[in-house]
Amino acid sequence: MRARILAAAAALGCVWLGTATLAGHHGTNISYDRSKTFTAKAVVTEFKYVNPHVQLFFDVTDDKGKVRHWSGELLPNPAMLIRSGWTRKRSGEALQYGTKVLVTAAPARAGGDTALVLRIESEAGEDLLSLGPVLPPPGAAPAR
Amino acid sequence: MATSNRKRSSVLALCAFVCLSILAAGAQERGREGAPQGQAPAGRGRAAGPGYLKLFDSNMPFEPRDLAGVWTPNGNGFGGGGRCRDCGDRGYSFEFPELTPAGQAAFDKNIPSYGRMKDSADAKAHPEEHIGRRRAQPPALGNDTYGTCNPMGMPRAILYPDPVELIVLPDRIYQHFQWGYGLRTIWMDGRKLPAPDDVDLPRWWGYATARWQGNTLIVDSTGYDERTWIDYFGYPHSDQMVLHEEYTRTNFDTLELRMTVTDPKYYAKPWVAEVKRMHLLPKDFIQSSGWASLLEDLCAPANENEFNRVIRDPSGTGKPAVPVRPAAPTPAPRRR
Repeated sequence: MRARILAAAAALGCVWLGTATLAGHHGTNISYDRSKTFTAKAVVTEFKYVNPHVQLFFDVTDDKGKVRHWSGELLPNPAMLIRSGWTRKRSGEALQYGTKVLVTAAPARAGGDTALVLRIESEAGEDLLSLGPVLPPPGAAPAR
Repeated sequence: MATSNRKRSSVLALCAFVCLSILAAGAQERGREGAPQGQAPAGRGRAAGPGYLKLFDSNMPFEPRDLAGVWTPNGNGFGGGGRCRDCGDRGYSFEFPELTPAGQAAFDKNIPSYGRMKDSADAKAHPEEHIGRRRAQPPALGNDTYGTCNPMGMPRAILYPDPVELIVLPDRIYQHFQWGYGLRTIWMDGRKLPAPDDVDLPRWWGYATARWQGNTLIVDSTGYDERTWIDYFGYPHSDQMVLHEEYTRTNFDTLELRMTVTDPKYYAKPWVAEVKRMHLLPKDFIQSSGWASLLEDLCAPANENEFNRVIRDPSGTGKPAVPVRPAAPTPAPRRR
């Protein structure tokens, strides 16, 4: 039974690995620069589980105490999140206002404070929303 | 113990299959990369096997003219993500279209956001692909009417990775697309398809009729709103387009689709698509809230307009989100 659960989880993880890197629902993927992917401690300010773009808004504070307000979109839509077990309620509970997380994201090519969120981890290291591992762009240094 | 090991091996094999086949679908999204017509590209993650989420024994007996059911062209069965390895990609065709001068002008006006980025090294590295697949720009700089949730029409809707339910009635077939919850009616009551010039009012979902030729359902349609695109790469069509589709159920869980676009105003000769495939899902496979049915995978303007304002447009332009215009002040009540 345990093997089956692990296998199912691995399979779904692979689904993300294969699909989440493929396409934004309106081609938005192309707006972001994965060669500049960063990982940062963040605080959730808002989470929207809406079709077709799930969105995470978060604050990142730098070493000097300056806060940057990020607006991020996720590649999977609600259908894909439901498929991996991340229902609206479960996702919303995991990403409530004020939750501390570790966010990996690719910023917009055009600059500014928008990003494509590639991975969200809880403080305990749990992969939230099963976004899976982040594939580095070809030839790029590891994100962290 | 032996049974347990066999089960474990089966599950892990399924895992490996799902993993590799869906990774391979990535190449389908980006381009065929030299594969023969209708075939998946060679490349990273290429796996043996059927190339899709296999949920039935394909060898089970079936009625070739029974097309009812939920069919999916994607790798996860629910929606979104990539199309499965043997399903064909989001593009209509890898064949280079022969555009007329009017067609070329319409093509040049369309700015898609799918495909390889315009003028990028990636785009330059693939001259074997038509420029339509190598001119993507961020949606904020594009003009895809789908970016504001307008219906995709055909054949674009059938190229999206979401499932489609075929609802078969005695005189018509409904194609119920999960994406957009769109509904297309294909009439089978013997009516004649209007000639393109006889269509007074174009429709986002067009006018369609069908008939059986052997065990292949032949669908012809026309009268599509010219604002819809043929596929994700911004290929245009005119009011003269006639779309010819042939649906053939080749085994228990596979439905093949062949298409030809004839549009003499925009294309100098008929444009043929590679074979696209969809695979049958169990009726209760897609579930949410304990409710088995297609998901209401709607692109609602109420959500999309706000997304465009706060994320899509700033990410494409680098400029901050445009503030929401404050509501007009309520006029003071008149004194009597």
